Amino acid sequence: MKKNIRKYSFTWPIIFLAPFFICFFLFNLFPILYAFYMSFLDWAGYNEKVFIGIKNYIEIFTRDKVFWRSVLNTLRIGLVGFPIALILGLVFAAILSNIKKLKSFLQTVFFLPYLTTPVAIGMIFVFIFEQHIGIFNKLIEFFGGKAINFVGSPFWAPFVISFMIIWKNTGYFTTMYLAGMTSVSEDIYEAAKIDGASALQTFFYITLPLLKNVTIFLIITSTIYMFQLFDEANLLFTNQSMGTVGGPGQTSLTIVWDFYNQAFGANPRMGYASAMSIVLFFIIGIVSMIGLKLMNGKEE
Amino acid sequence: MKVIKKILTWVPLILLALVSLIPFWLMFSMSTYKSEMIFQNNPLIPSNFLMENIKTIMESNFVHSYLNSLFVSALAMVLSVIVCSMAGFAMTVYQFKAKKFVNTLIMLTMMVPTQIGIIGYMIEMRNLHLNQTLIPLILVWIASGFGAYWMTSFIQSALPMELVESARVDGAGEIMIYLRIAFPCIRPGLVTLALLQFLWSWNSYMYPLLFINKQENYTIPIFVKSLASAYRTDYGAQLTGLTLATIPILIFFALGSKTFIRGLTAGAVKG
Repeated sequence: MKKNIRKYSFTWPIIFLAPFFICFFLFNLFPILYAFYMSFLDWAGYNEKVFIGIKNYIEIFTRDKVFWRSVLNTLRIGLVGFPIALILGLVFAAILSNIKKLKSFLQTVFFLPYLTTPVAIGMIFVFIFEQHIGIFNKLIEFFGGKAINFVGSPFWAPFVISFMIIWKNTGYFTTMYLAGMTSVSEDIYEAAKIDGASALQTFFYITLPLLKNVTIFLIITSTIYMFQLFDEANLLFTNQSMGTVGGPGQTSLTIVWDFYNQAFGANPRMGYASAMSIVLFFIIGIVSMIGLKLMNGKEE
Repeated sequence: MKVIKKILTWVPLILLALVSLIPFWLMFSMSTYKSEMIFQNNPLIPSNFLMENIKTIMESNFVHSYLNSLFVSALAMVLSVIVCSMAGFAMTVYQFKAKKFVNTLIMLTMMVPTQIGIIGYMIEMRNLHLNQTLIPLILVWIASGFGAYWMTSFIQSALPMELVESARVDGAGEIMIYLRIAFPCIRPGLVTLALLQFLWSWNSYMYPLLFINKQENYTIPIFVKSLASAYRTDYGAQLTGLTLATIPILIFFALGSKTFIRGLTAGAVKG
């Protein structure tokens, strides 16, 4: 009998958990640990490796203005994009939960942008925001405004990327919020109705607090995604003939794009890029820890 | 009052539906143009060059790239769903000492930004002599932290322990229980995760960008980029390729959409 219990509390859990953790270690964690080792090297990827201690880190923290500007760019793009997408997602989930007709059809339509390949998103948004023939500028001109060269302007280009984020994620957030709302029991709403709560009161005092977990989950995953932003920014500019790094005035240079450029650009600095990735790792780590605390907080 | 409510409901809904659909429509509509003509017309109205564009991409190695993408995404999907559901199964069915710790570990894996280990991953793959193949594009997706977290919370809500225990009494082995008892119970969760994994791998851009340098290994994003050259970028053909690349995703999603949303709902209960 004893052996039997051990089987269920030791052998089988290990057998079932092993593939996940082995794969995670080999293909996800080990590369990061290796990058940690490389962050102490001066290495272009093909020549002799030179151990230089923490010089890479010193450079990042004291001299590398481009890196810190890319951090600000990333924050600027993300902090405009994600909160708006999140709020829109919540609002549209609230609207959708109140209708019966066409609900699942609209939900599917809203989800479509999330399915689209970033390569396609990049190309289409270039066309939409193009100065002379882009639909968006046509719209502006129709209302009497003056066409703007969005993608070519250091000021507007990051907003286009934020807009791509909003376009892509609003439907996804809507679906997640709607999922969270459906899981709230009908009885609670009934009780609120009997007590004479208005629709808005119900939303703010009942629905919203119960959506806290979904919100925290979405904020954490979005934050991690934000810090790794690359596809949208890169694809907005690389399909054009002039392959500028970071877009006009480098205002669209995200952290990972800067990292990518350092590691695989014309003048590769693998060691230095690795140090950048480790710094980024710690930034994300700290933010995630805060998020994890918030997530666990609910259980106590 | 009723009218105002109707307006407040349907105007935003229709607006968002339009905003969601127009870029989609543009992608399709512009794929029916000869590249040079796109900018001379209203691209919202389709033209007649679709067949020519299809011919252009068929003549380069579109089919091969498409099959490569399918191969990579299908394998990444199957492997990660198996591995993550096994982890979720273990976290639900068994009681063991380090369970709380393992649970936190899974949460942490969800937060590890895999993408930033890409240099180390490249060197690792080079040393394993896999860097000239499609394998690196698959391996990185298998241990999805999100997947394990998701499966754990889903299986906890969908698999009754009584079922597992009665199967054990009937003499079923653990692997049998996982395959024959757990799988049917957690189908919506599996479908949801499978769809997401396929989607992420299918749309993934940075890994193919770095790992693929031979034409025979092109996946769709890289193929589409290869249609842009210094002399002429064939936007029409590029968009045709992208439209065709969106079709399997749309089919999968249309087939699984009910189950997918049910899966998301059930996962969010635990949230």
